[in-house]
Amino acid sequence: MTKSSKKNWRQKLWSQKYLQLMVWPGIIWMFIFNYIPMTGIVIAFKDYKITRSIWEADWVGFEHFIEFFTDPKFTNIMTNTLGISLLKLIIGFPLPIIFAILLNEVKNATYKKSIQTISYLPHFISWVVLGGLLITWLSETGMINEVLVNFGILDKPIAFLADPNYFWGVALISDTWKELGWSAIIYLAAISGIDQQMYEAAAIDGATKMQKIWHITVPAIKGTIAVMFILAVANMLNSNFDQIFLLGNVLNADASQVIDTYVYEMGVGAGRYSYATAIGLFKSVIAMILLLIANFTTKKLQGRSLF
Amino acid sequence: MRMFKRGNRTNGEMCFDWVNNILMFCICFITLYPIWYILVNSFNEGADAMLGGIFWWPREFTTENYAAVFANKGLMTSFGITVLRTLIGTVTNVFFTAMVAYPLSKEHLMGRKFYIIMGTITMFFSGGLIPSFLLYKNLDILNKFIVYILPSLFNFFNLIIFVNFFREIPKALEESASIDGANDIVIFLKVILPLSKPVLATIALFTGVYHWNDYFAGVIFIQDASLEPIQTFLYRIVAESGSNQMVAAATNVVKSTTSLSIKLATMVITTFPIVCVYPFLQKYFVKGMLIGAVKE
Amino acid sequence: MKKRLFLIGLLSSMALLGGCSSDEEAKTELPPPTHTVSADVPGWTVNNSPTELDWYIHFSWFTTPWGEDMVSQKITEETGVDINFIVPAGNEAEKLNTMIAGDTLPDILTLGWWEGQIPEIIDAGMVYALDELAEMYDPYFFEVADDAREGWYTHTDGHLYQYPNSSYSPADYEKYDNISANPTFLVRKDMYEALGSPDMSTPEGFLDALTRAKEMFPEVNGQPLIPFGTHEFTSAGNMSLDLFLQNFLAIPFEKDGKLYDRTTDPDYIEWLKTINQAWRDGLIANDVFIDARSQMEEKQAQGRYFAMLYQRTDFAAQQQILYANDPDTVYVAIDGPKNSAGDDHTLPGVGIQGWTVTLISKNCEDPERAIQLLTYFMSEHGQKRIKLGIEGETYDNIDGKYVTKPEVTELKMSDRVGYDRKYGADDTFWMMQDLPMQLQWTEPTQPPLAQMEEWGYPYTIFASQYDGLTPPIGSDEETIALKISTLWGETLPELIRAETEAEFDQIFADFVAEREELGFAQLVEFQQSKVDSNKAKLGIE
Repeated sequence: MTKSSKKNWRQKLWSQKYLQLMVWPGIIWMFIFNYIPMTGIVIAFKDYKITRSIWEADWVGFEHFIEFFTDPKFTNIMTNTLGISLLKLIIGFPLPIIFAILLNEVKNATYKKSIQTISYLPHFISWVVLGGLLITWLSETGMINEVLVNFGILDKPIAFLADPNYFWGVALISDTWKELGWSAIIYLAAISGIDQQMYEAAAIDGATKMQKIWHITVPAIKGTIAVMFILAVANMLNSNFDQIFLLGNVLNADASQVIDTYVYEMGVGAGRYSYATAIGLFKSVIAMILLLIANFTTKKLQGRSLF
Repeated sequence: MRMFKRGNRTNGEMCFDWVNNILMFCICFITLYPIWYILVNSFNEGADAMLGGIFWWPREFTTENYAAVFANKGLMTSFGITVLRTLIGTVTNVFFTAMVAYPLSKEHLMGRKFYIIMGTITMFFSGGLIPSFLLYKNLDILNKFIVYILPSLFNFFNLIIFVNFFREIPKALEESASIDGANDIVIFLKVILPLSKPVLATIALFTGVYHWNDYFAGVIFIQDASLEPIQTFLYRIVAESGSNQMVAAATNVVKSTTSLSIKLATMVITTFPIVCVYPFLQKYFVKGMLIGAVKE
Repeated sequence: MKKRLFLIGLLSSMALLGGCSSDEEAKTELPPPTHTVSADVPGWTVNNSPTELDWYIHFSWFTTPWGEDMVSQKITEETGVDINFIVPAGNEAEKLNTMIAGDTLPDILTLGWWEGQIPEIIDAGMVYALDELAEMYDPYFFEVADDAREGWYTHTDGHLYQYPNSSYSPADYEKYDNISANPTFLVRKDMYEALGSPDMSTPEGFLDALTRAKEMFPEVNGQPLIPFGTHEFTSAGNMSLDLFLQNFLAIPFEKDGKLYDRTTDPDYIEWLKTINQAWRDGLIANDVFIDARSQMEEKQAQGRYFAMLYQRTDFAAQQQILYANDPDTVYVAIDGPKNSAGDDHTLPGVGIQGWTVTLISKNCEDPERAIQLLTYFMSEHGQKRIKLGIEGETYDNIDGKYVTKPEVTELKMSDRVGYDRKYGADDTFWMMQDLPMQLQWTEPTQPPLAQMEEWGYPYTIFASQYDGLTPPIGSDEETIALKISTLWGETLPELIRAETEAEFDQIFADFVAEREELGFAQLVEFQQSKVDSNKAKLGIE
C-alpha cells in the first residue's frame, strides 16, 4: 500500500465519520445480542444438558444431524415443509400484492380506508383460538361445509381435516385469509409513495386502467416485491408452527408433519436442546443458501437485490 | 371514432370499478364474518355458547365474560406495562434501526459489505433461547423492564426495508443540504426522516404490533407478576393446557376449564387497543408524501 | 487486530454465557437457625416474622393468586410468609429448563413427580436435602412427614429432596374403600335406558348397543350422534384406547415376576378389533380422531356422545351443564369392556408417587422459612386449613362434625374460580394436599358427579410399582421409548381404520416387528429393573 492510498483511505473514512458513527451502535448491538448468543450453536455438535454449562458438554460431532437425516420420516417431513411453503410462495405471495393494487384503485376514500382496516383484523386473531374455531368450522357438520353445500359448490360435506389430501389447501387458504390484509400493508406503503401526477399524465395520454397499473404502479413497487420475495424464499423451511400444529391430527399426519412440528415432538419439551439446535442449524444453512440464490437471480433478472 | 374510443374506455373503467368494488366487498365479508362470530360468542353466556349454533346474534346476551377477564387483579398494571413497552420499544427501535440503516443505504460507505453480511447472518442464525437467557442474566437485565426494550432495539429485517426506501430518495435533496453545511447526522434528522413517513409508519406498525403481541418475553424473562405484559397474563387464559393424564389421574383438583366465550372475550380485549391504532397510521399510506416533498 | 477482536469476542461470549458451572457447586454452609429448634414445636409457631418466598408451579392452568382469598391470607398471617407464585404461561418445560440452565430457580418448586428435570436438578446439587434442612431448622418436619412417602422418595444418597402431595400408600388402600380411580366408561343415561340398559362389557354387546343407539337416536339437537368417543388422539396414541382399555380388560402388568407386554395380549387385540369393527360399521365418527379437547368438551356439553371411555374429572364441568339443562341427559358410569373371562376391571388409582412433588432450591436465601412452611402445610393443622378453610367463615363445627357453610358450597358448585378467589379452601392450594388425611373431613360428592366416582370404588387398585417407568433424560432408553410411543401413535389410528381384519393383523404384526427393531427389549430390561427396585422400596413381592 502506498502512502498516498493509505492517506486517501484515511481521508475517505474521515469524510464519512458521521455515517460510521451512525452504523457502529448497530454493529455493537448485533455483536452483543446476536453474535454472543450465537456461539451457543456449538451445542448442535455436543450433548448439552441443562444442568451443565455449554462449554462442559461432551462433543458428539455430527451425531444429531445424522439422526435427523436418517430418520425414516425425513423425506415425508421435507416434502410437507417444502410443499406447503411452495404453495404459499406461488399462490399466497402474489395475492397481497394484487389486493394492494386493487385496493388502491378503489375510488371512495372512506370505503377504501374501511376495507384496509377490516382486512388486517384477522392478523390479530391468535392461532391458539383460531385453530380451535377452524376445527369446528371445517368439520363435516361445520359452518363451511354448510355454506358450500347450500351454494351447490359441493355435493356432500367433506371432512377437510380428516383427509391428508386437503391439508395443504387448508393450510394455504387459512393462512392467506389471516394474513392477506397484513401482508398488503408494506405494498400499500410503497404504492403511497407514487406521485399522483404520473397517473394524471397517463390519463391525459389515454392510458387504460390496466396500462396505468402495469406501467406505473407495478414498476414503482417492484423493489419492495423483490425484497419480500427474496425473504420469502429464504424462509421456505420455516412453517407456521402454531397453525400446522393445531390443525394437524392423526388422520392428516401424512400431510401435516413438518420440520417444526417434528422438532417439537422429538423432544424440545423433553429438553433435547442439542438435537433441536442441530435441526435449527440445518434450516439456517439452507435458508442462507436459498437467500443467496434468490438474491442472485433477482439481481440478474431485475437488476434489483436485497441491499 | 375518437368519441367511441373514449366512451368505451369509460365503460371499461366503470365495469372495472364495479367488479373491483364487489370483489373488495366479498373480501371484507369473508374477513369480517369470523370476527363477528368471535364477538357474538364472546357476548354470549359461556355454557350456552358451548351448545353451539350461535352465528349472527348472541342467544343469551351477557357481558359477564368481559367482567370475568377484568376481574383479574393486576390486569391494569399489566396493561400499563404493555402500553409502556409498546411506546418506548417502538420509538427506540424505529429510530435506532433507521439511524443504522441510513449510512448503509450509501454505496460508498466503507465496510458496507462487511456490515451487510454481518447483519444478514443474524437473520438466519441464532443460538436459541438458553444462550440468550444466560446473556441477559449476565447483563443483569432479567426481571427488569429493560429486558423488553434492549434485546429488541434493532431488527435487521426492518433495516433492509429502510435501506430500500432510503435509496429511492433523490440524491439532490441531500446534496443541497450538505452544500448548506449540514453533516450526515443533521441530514438524516432534518431531511431524510421527514421524507420517510410512509416507511416509518410501516415499521412502527410492525414493531408496535410485535411489542403488543409478545407474550414470550414475559413468560421467560420475567418472574415478577407486576412486570408481566398483558399478553402473558391473558395467554394463560387462552392457551389450552395440554392433555394432563397425570393431573386428573391423581386427584380431586378440578382444573377449572375456561369457557370458549371467556377465551374469545380475552382475545377481543387484547386486540382492540392495537387495532385502534391503525387508522391513525393509515393517513401516511394514503397519498404520496415523498414526491410531494420533493416538489415543494 | 482482527485476531485480537476475535479473541475478545470469544472470551466475552464465554463469560457472558456462563451458566451454572461446576465451580458454583461448592457446597454452601447453612446459616445457623434464628430460633431455638425443637422436635415438639413446629417452627412456624415461633418464627413467623413477615417474609416473602417465590414458589414456582409447573402447571400453566394454575392461575389462582396468593393473598386474595381468606385461606391464603390466614396462612400468611399464621406463618408470616407471603407467597409469590410463578406460573409459566404456555409451555411449562421451556420456562423450567431456562431457569435450570440459567441457575435462576426460585425458592420453592412444585412439579409433577414424573418430570425428567427432577433427577437432573437433584444430581446437579441445585436443591436442598429436605432432611438436612429439617434437622437444622425444624425437626418437627419428621413428626408430620409420612414414613411410606419418605421411604419412597428417599434418594440413593440417603437424603430426601422432594415430598409428594396426593400420595396414597398400600396401607391407605387397605384402610379406605372410598378411593376412586379416574377412568370411567360412560353412557348417556336417557339413551341407555331407552335401549333397555344392555350389557356392554362383551364385544357383541358393545357393538350391538352402539348400533342400536345410532339407529334409535340418529341426531342430537339436529347434529349427528357420535356413538362412541374417547380422549384425543396424540402423537403417542390415545390413552382411552391403550392404557384405559388395558386396565378395563384387567390385563396383568406382570406374569411370573416379569413385566408383561400388555399391548400384545389377546384380549386387548380382540377389543382393538372390536373398535376397528365399530369403525367399519360407521360407529366411530371422524371427529373422534380430529377433535382437540375443547371441541370434545363442547360436544359433551351438548350430549352428542352415546358412550365414552373418559376420565371423570375431565368431565365434571360438562356433566354439570347437562345436569342443569336436563338431569336425564347426564352420563352414568357402567361396566365397560371386559376380558373374555369376564374379570372385574382393575383401575390403578393414585399411588405412592402421588401427583406433584415439592422441592426447595439452593437459590432460596431463607431455607429456614421454606422448610417451616412445608412443615406447616404437612401438619394436620395445615391440611385442615387448605381443605376446610377457616372455622366460622367457611365451615362450622357442629357436634364435632365439620360442616361447610351452604353458601360456600353453593359458590363452589356454581363458580369454582370465584370460590378459589374468595374462600380458597377445598384444596385451592393443592401443592401439599394430603388426600388420605383429608378423607376424614370429606363431604359426599354432589349428585351429578357422585355416581361416576362411586362406580370406581370396587375396581380401584394400587399399582404404583408399575408407575414411573420412563427412562431418565438423555439415556438411550429414553430415545427408544420416545420412538416407540411415536410409532404406536401412528399405528393405533391405522389399526382402528383398517379396512379388513387381514389388514389389521398385518399392521399389528408390522408394529411389533418395528418395535423390536427400535430396541424394545432394551427398554423392557430397563423397565424391569425399575419395577424391581420400586417393589423393593414398597416392600411388596
